[in-house]
Amino acid sequence: MRRSVILETVIRAELPVLLVVSLYLLFAGHNQPGGGFAGGLVAGAAYALALVAGGAGAVRRTTRFQPTTLLGAGLLLATLTALVPLFTGNDLLEHDVLSADLPVLGTVKTTTALFFDTGVYLVVTGLVLLVVTALGPGDLDVGDVDATPGDGT
Amino acid sequence: MSLTLALVVAGLVAGGVFLVLQRELTRIVLGFALLGHGANLLLLLAGGRAGRAAFIEGDGPTGGEVDPLPQALALTSIVITFAATTLLLALAYRSWEQRGSDEVEDDLEDRRIARLRDETDADLEELTDVLADLEGDTGPGDGVADVHGELRP
Amino acid sequence: MAAAVLVAARRPLGRARFAVAALAPAATAGWAVWLLATLDPGEAHTRRVEWVPGLDLTLGFRADGLAAVMALVIGAIGVLVCAYAASYFGSSPTAAKVAPLLVAFAGSMLGLVLSDDVLGLFVFWELTSVTSFLLIGTDDERPEARAAAQQAFLITGAGGLALLGGLVLLGQQTGEWTLQGIVAAAPSGGLVEAAAVLVLLGALTKSAQVPFHSWLPGAMAAPTPVSAYLHSATMVKAGVYLVARLSPGLAELGPWRPVVVGAGVASLLVGGWRALRQSDLKILLAMGTVSQLGLLMILFGVGTEEAWAAGVVLLVAHALFKAPLFMVVGIVDHATHTRDIRRLDRLGRRLPVLCGVGVLAASSMAGVPPLLGFIAKEEALAALGETGLSWGTALLVAVVAGSVLTVAYSGRFVFGAFGPAPDRGSAPGALVGPIVRDVHTPAASIVAVPAVLAGAGLLFGLLPVLVQPLVDAAVTWWGPDAHAPTLALWHGLKPALYWSLLVLTLGSLAIVARSAVERVQVDLPRLPGTQRGYERTVRGLLRGADRVTGVVQSGSLPTYLAVILVTMVVTVAVPLSGAVAVPEGLVLADSWGQLLVAAGVLGAALGAALALRRMTVVLLLGVVGYGVAALFMIQGAPDLAVTQLLVETLTVVAFVLVLRRMPERFAARQSVRRQLPRAALALAVGAVVFVFALSATVRTEPGVSEEYLQRSLPEAAGRNVVNVIVVDFRGLDTLGEISVVLVAALGISALSAAGRRGRGAGKAAGTGVDAAEEGGVA
Repeated sequence: MRRSVILETVIRAELPVLLVVSLYLLFAGHNQPGGGFAGGLVAGAAYALALVAGGAGAVRRTTRFQPTTLLGAGLLLATLTALVPLFTGNDLLEHDVLSADLPVLGTVKTTTALFFDTGVYLVVTGLVLLVVTALGPGDLDVGDVDATPGDGT
Repeated sequence: MSLTLALVVAGLVAGGVFLVLQRELTRIVLGFALLGHGANLLLLLAGGRAGRAAFIEGDGPTGGEVDPLPQALALTSIVITFAATTLLLALAYRSWEQRGSDEVEDDLEDRRIARLRDETDADLEELTDVLADLEGDTGPGDGVADVHGELRP
Repeated sequence: MAAAVLVAARRPLGRARFAVAALAPAATAGWAVWLLATLDPGEAHTRRVEWVPGLDLTLGFRADGLAAVMALVIGAIGVLVCAYAASYFGSSPTAAKVAPLLVAFAGSMLGLVLSDDVLGLFVFWELTSVTSFLLIGTDDERPEARAAAQQAFLITGAGGLALLGGLVLLGQQTGEWTLQGIVAAAPSGGLVEAAAVLVLLGALTKSAQVPFHSWLPGAMAAPTPVSAYLHSATMVKAGVYLVARLSPGLAELGPWRPVVVGAGVASLLVGGWRALRQSDLKILLAMGTVSQLGLLMILFGVGTEEAWAAGVVLLVAHALFKAPLFMVVGIVDHATHTRDIRRLDRLGRRLPVLCGVGVLAASSMAGVPPLLGFIAKEEALAALGETGLSWGTALLVAVVAGSVLTVAYSGRFVFGAFGPAPDRGSAPGALVGPIVRDVHTPAASIVAVPAVLAGAGLLFGLLPVLVQPLVDAAVTWWGPDAHAPTLALWHGLKPALYWSLLVLTLGSLAIVARSAVERVQVDLPRLPGTQRGYERTVRGLLRGADRVTGVVQSGSLPTYLAVILVTMVVTVAVPLSGAVAVPEGLVLADSWGQLLVAAGVLGAALGAALALRRMTVVLLLGVVGYGVAALFMIQGAPDLAVTQLLVETLTVVAFVLVLRRMPERFAARQSVRRQLPRAALALAVGAVVFVFALSATVRTEPGVSEEYLQRSLPEAAGRNVVNVIVVDFRGLDTLGEISVVLVAALGISALSAAGRRGRGAGKAAGTGVDAAEEGGVA
């Protein structure tokens, strides 16, 4: 398959931006539209674009994480967040409000629910990444060790 | 509530059911996706009429917000539908890859069961013979061989 | 305390040696004796153990006189059976299999007789069925043993189900879930009668009563120690025991006496008659057991105090004479390798001690004085003579006839095993096999065990005062002021004595004229067996199951789905049709925008359903998805809209990635005639969903969301209520959801890895990729 140089370049520049957007959605989610689901989907979509433009190799170059690692880490994080309150004498999944005074940002107020949402974010990102790499490669791939050249390449 | 939305839900479900009843796996998956849309919309519909998004401005709810709970349910449902749809898609693809066709074939095992009757009868005949011996209805002069020999040390 | 004993009884399960195994029943027997010695009349030790507290299920144990008597039988016979089994099996590997099972059985049986709670009783009841199944099938390489085990399990299992139904029904009707409570409530009414019949079904199957007796002869496939323990002394008594437990409270119910006494009389006579036909000693004894259990059923079920007390005596006596008789058969089998009467000749001369033991036990069975069997039989006859029932005399005559048969088959046993071989004259001797000539002398240790039991029968017969406390303790169950009759060999010239004499005389005549009796039996038509009935039932069940499976499992996925959907339509539409409600504030549409988007979504959905090119369907699906996202936005759900938008994009990408490799069009277009039913079903489902959507939005209670809206900011510090619900209020749901996502992702990963391996090996069938599709994507 022919690769578009323009697309590839644009994506390379866009990828960090999209990832920042996804993080913004994650952090803002508690008060504005967004949250772990939306954020994770944006991050996943960013990688999907990179995949379409540059093949699986490009994705592998940008992220060192296996999709399954993200999935596992996400579920682990969410479960731990859910379980920690049990040890401090609270109910399962009870969240605390945290606030901190940071030098530049001023007073930042958040809750431990953010960790839970981050878990969700990681799982969703992992899922999307896995879907596009699992269904995508093959003939789209260039320079991917696993892939065999398809008939249309 | 809106009659139009109810109609859309009904239409999506009807379309989805029609596709699910087909024999091509890909159409079944597509039908599943349509059904998912219908279900999500139905969840939302249960929240009542359209209204202001459920965000807290100022110190507390001001009234007029839409019901947030169905939305939360639909949110998780959307992502699950995505995961399930892609899993089915992967299944359909794998089936096509292996067999060169994505049609669902009749289950051979089940077809065989319908023909099992004769075999069962044969088995039962054997069982009957064994049991007849066992009943031990050996009247004088019946002359049944000693089938009750025990395991001896 | 009872539970402690139970645990103790299970403890040695791991050690598979009879010496260790015997500890448990020994402890049981010792405990039972202690219990009998210390228990005041009418008193009981009880203990309740929480089982499933959430369901109010408790295991109630109650150790009273009757339970102690049963426990003593279980324990004492258990010890002796273990001692016997140790010699019987020697170093055979079977021992390792049988020993733990025997102990497990003893534990279950003990639990059964100690249970006061009916559900606990049922559990132990089934446990005894299971251990019995395993023990019958000990020799699992013989098809007969397997079939017999299966038959025993099916029949007692079906009875167990009936029992469960009956007990639950009784519990619901009386509100009492303990035996004590049910008996005290003495309920009546149509449902209670039905429950009683169900319970009796359970009891009759367990105790191998006519017409459910066919499994007991088959169960003789088990090793002899097992037969001696389970199938004569203990397990088959479970049904009798249950009747004994319930009879004080339920005997006055309409169907109780006809069922119990009817089955008992039938078993007594049929069992005795068929025992006379047997030439296999063990099966002869099994038929005798059916007969004796029938008598026990009559005594416990007829519902008078005297008969009940006589039942207890007979129960003990039966254990003391039937178990040694089985053991004697086992020894004969060992010594001669046959149990066929026609092959045994004058064994009494070669094995005089064994012969003595056999004669002693068989005499007790026949009711010859001065043995315990005689006392029991006389008590029974005396009690049945005074039932006061209108058909009491007929019952007495039937029991006398049954007792004559008992004497006759006792004689057949003794003369068959130890007497001269019968005149083989015209009999087809070739089939039977030659008369056994060489006999191994059995070890003294193995003969000692039945000798102890038979000797106990003699001792208790001579000194009935030793058995008296057992009966006294047990009879308190019948009522607080119930008194057991004084047991004695000589009661004076009472009717019972004349009956006994009549029985013994007629029975002796039958023994003397046994060859004549045999000829009569050959000439008479056979009694119809119930074995056929069992076979027919099993066969019918299997065939019916095949037929149903053949119809239901057609093997076609669309058919299955159609069945499910039609069921859904019917089950939802029927209740809905009665309650179609139009919600308040129903409008055509919330806004023009909504109407417009809805029209687009509907059109795209219709197109997707009908399109025949893969890519067209995918694109139309995308249109539907974006439309739905727009509808979410209009509804006031920005979170959903954003998520939907992203998901839809990714879904379309995923579909395109996959479908580009597949043919452009779906397979051959199907005829309208075949699509029409599908379309009709789809429309029906759509219509039902439409009505459901309308009805489902009718609110009768305020939603929980009000609370969420209030609590969101102060408690969870979040202004986006939807997000707060997802991560906080209903976070557990979300945790579950991402777990599902993870599983689906793993599935995708595995499938793609498998596909890649397939391609890597060059075996993939998916090479028919359409080049045009390829171009379409790029």
